[in-house]
Amino acid sequence: MLRAITLLGFAFLYAPILSLVIYSFNESRLVTVWSGFSTRWYAELLQDDQILGAAWISIKVATLSATLATVLGTLAALALIRHGRFRGRPALGGLVTAPLVMPEVIIGLSLLLLFVAMDNLIGWPAGRGVLTIVIAHATFGTAFATVVVQARMVSLDRALEDAAQDLGAHPLRVFFDITLPGLAPALISAWLLAFTLSLDDVVIASFVAGPGASTLPMVIFSKVRLGVSPEVNALATLMIATVSILVLAASFRSWRR
Amino acid sequence: MTDPQPLLRIDSVTRTFGDVYAVDDVSLDIRQGELFCLLGGSGSGKSTLLRMLSGFDAPSRGRIVIDGQDMAGVPPHRRDTNMMFQSYALFPHMTVERNIAYGLRRAGIGRAETVVRVREMLELVQLDKLAGRKPDQLSGGQRQRVALARALARRPKLLLLDEPLGALDKKLREETQLELKKIQETLGITFIVVTHDQEEAMTLADRMGVMQEGRIVQVGTPREIYEFPRSRFVAGFIGTVNLFDGTITQDRDTDAVIDSPQAGGPIRIPHAITGTVGQSVTVALRPEKLVIGRAPSEAHDNHLSGQIRDIVYQGGLSVFHVTLDTGMTVRVTRTNRVRDEGAAIAAGDRVALGFSGQSVVVLPS
Repeated sequence: MLRAITLLGFAFLYAPILSLVIYSFNESRLVTVWSGFSTRWYAELLQDDQILGAAWISIKVATLSATLATVLGTLAALALIRHGRFRGRPALGGLVTAPLVMPEVIIGLSLLLLFVAMDNLIGWPAGRGVLTIVIAHATFGTAFATVVVQARMVSLDRALEDAAQDLGAHPLRVFFDITLPGLAPALISAWLLAFTLSLDDVVIASFVAGPGASTLPMVIFSKVRLGVSPEVNALATLMIATVSILVLAASFRSWRR
Repeated sequence: MTDPQPLLRIDSVTRTFGDVYAVDDVSLDIRQGELFCLLGGSGSGKSTLLRMLSGFDAPSRGRIVIDGQDMAGVPPHRRDTNMMFQSYALFPHMTVERNIAYGLRRAGIGRAETVVRVREMLELVQLDKLAGRKPDQLSGGQRQRVALARALARRPKLLLLDEPLGALDKKLREETQLELKKIQETLGITFIVVTHDQEEAMTLADRMGVMQEGRIVQVGTPREIYEFPRSRFVAGFIGTVNLFDGTITQDRDTDAVIDSPQAGGPIRIPHAITGTVGQSVTVALRPEKLVIGRAPSEAHDNHLSGQIRDIVYQGGLSVFHVTLDTGMTVRVTRTNRVRDEGAAIAAGDRVALGFSGQSVVVLPS
């Protein structure tokens, strides 16, 4: 009985993905009709400059915004955990994590208005494009990174940092020698989370992207509106494969320890 | 005790947290090469005092002078002190070797010299074979040694140890106490050990200071503290003690008498005491100073009588709980010199307790 329910649960979660993978190898142009095994959509995908270009932009945006979010999130967590009580601490704690619960439409719209106003006032950021998407994604990525890093920092033994300083290390040195390695697992998680969220986002990106800077999800979304192409299935399968390999590698590494 | 230049001088140091006096006007001189124990319960201020010595906390008032240099405003990484942390605080991502080398590298000691000194330290704590291990691959006792080696590697003027043996089990702790003392004597480095364990303090210390509510209430050798406590608190904190309330009824140059209703009569002391006739005092008597027998013996100048309530057999030692005729219960310990000696006296028996008036300590109530 329990087994059956478990299987049902897995089916509910993964059957759609599985069907997508299977249909990515479909010969037919019609997504719903199976006409034989083929890899032609993968070949066409590699010819599609629009999709490849968008994928490149997405990876660029995700890498930059995840890095920015991890740095800012770590600094925010440091301030919140290691600097005791200071004026504005409760406000910082609340505001830094607010984007977690804020509707994406509102974040997107407000950032768009901000960018337009700034462009008019100080001329920066000039127009909308990769830079504005990176900034927007870093904003909500920081919220997630702060939460992840904060949780780790709380459990980090303060005595380790004291010991390093006692042994003659300048506080800045202590941070790089002791605190950062201690936070490393959280930093990796935070970066991967921010990276994934950025790669995944279509709502906020649609607001703040300019002409010529469409991310991959935006391109897929617009393509699907004209009818689902098997090419998109092939693309999705590649993305799933990449993510699965990364996740497996990560769990293999932690299992070996 | 008025050394012209002690290694460490703590001069009227006070540390307050809001209205709370964590450390309250403590003055203390510690000599070069000494092993000094700070003994006190939790919240007695001993750890706060240690943190001020290492520089992680600063006195609200008073001065700390190490080797002639005032430590005010000197951060921990610029102090010639090292600390062994209660949790050991070994760096989990570094091997034993790199843990020990960390302080040496920060002191600007070259690679070659560091390797030599790390070797020395590993040999000193007998961990040569485990140099390449990570802390989580070590036992509790081994971690303790690494922590000690790491703290000693820089050859500090002053080594501060916060409950250094607290995390070890009893047997290992006893072995390690002796080893720690040996290492300290070999290197000649001044140690300050903070502990709440009075047995540990007695075993380790050249001198010890007993702390209570932020103050040092008595400083002395372990023997002085045990045999001549100056207050009820110290008498009760170090070892067990029987306390009799009484009044001085006679005080002459050669002898004194204290009348104690709790003891059921006068307690005779064969020397003068400080105090005046009529003053209320407490007489402290250690359990091992009492001799238990069926009848009063001629050998003692003081006697008590009562009934055995309970006998706790502890192997080498038996503890007798004796209810005196006055209703007070005293503890008496006796070494079990002969195997079946304990069987002679059983719970419920009437006994006589004898002690010498030389062995008591008269304390202000």
